[in-house]
Amino acid sequence: MSLVKILEIALRTGRVTRRYPVEEPLLTPEFRGSIEVDPSKCWGCGACTKVCPSNALTLTPSGKGLVLEYFVGRCVFCGMCAEVCPAKAITVTKKFELASKNLRDLRSRVVHEVLRCSVCGAPITAEAEVRAVVKVSPITEEYVALCPRCRKERFTKSVALRIGASSGPS
Amino acid sequence: MDLAKALKAIRRSIWVYHLNSGSCNACDIEVLDALTPYFDVERFGIKLVGSPRHADVVLFTGPVTRESLPKVVRALKAMPRPRLLLVLGSCGVGGGIWWDTYATIGGFSKLEEILREQGVEVDRVVYVPGCPVRPEAIIYGILVLLGLAEQKVREVEVHAPGG
Repeated sequence: MSLVKILEIALRTGRVTRRYPVEEPLLTPEFRGSIEVDPSKCWGCGACTKVCPSNALTLTPSGKGLVLEYFVGRCVFCGMCAEVCPAKAITVTKKFELASKNLRDLRSRVVHEVLRCSVCGAPITAEAEVRAVVKVSPITEEYVALCPRCRKERFTKSVALRIGASSGPS
Repeated sequence: MDLAKALKAIRRSIWVYHLNSGSCNACDIEVLDALTPYFDVERFGIKLVGSPRHADVVLFTGPVTRESLPKVVRALKAMPRPRLLLVLGSCGVGGGIWWDTYATIGGFSKLEEILREQGVEVDRVVYVPGCPVRPEAIIYGILVLLGLAEQKVREVEVHAPGG
């Protein structure tokens, strides 16, 4: 290709360089950046942690409560967590300037209060999830505050009472 | 080693070496992208070189497969001080999808321990998440590495409202 031809093409195209730190970045509308968890909407159900391909989202019980941790350093930005979230608490943002000098700064946590069984005191699930369940299904608050073991015990006791086994297992 | 003095010396035009430790090539293409006219990192004087002996910064991609581990350690040993590393992509930072497989060692955090055992000191590391990283994110990462831009992400811990 002759120089004249190249010059003609170059003049027709003009400048394409994005002067990034000064100008706006070249983001497409479909671009997916890091996710954001809204702590006021999140139930702490852990659906996002089940679907996360790289385990960037983890739900672990700790001394503080039930901790939903998002480690952006492992995230593959697939957006499946936002799709699966029943509370629509996760939004996919367009943030990409995530450079950090240490790995600690790449973690963000949402700490949930844990509901404890009203009989034996064992931890059940996050309080927010129980509140959400009570809102949509006809279940009494008394029954929902029992752990699965205590529920089973109460059920067998009531059945035993109905079939006449008066001196059942105490 | 006076890190501040060394950083001042290379601030104007840094030469980068691209070290692939078994990545899927997406981050490598984005490194190439950053060199194209659209992002044109050569306007900052950033130049890709073919040997770690010539490099000021290593662009590190991939989750460090077992096969590449000895080669990666050798390449980093060959690098002159100060050793500045820009760890690109989810694989490099936290292992990505391959964080717990037998075939990789799981990202740079594990490699750092091995390097310490081998006596290879790394002076400064900046982690750039992204899958793949955007060319702008690479530019921003280099700015953070050289201390020309402020780091934007912080560790956050929020309590969900009760009651």
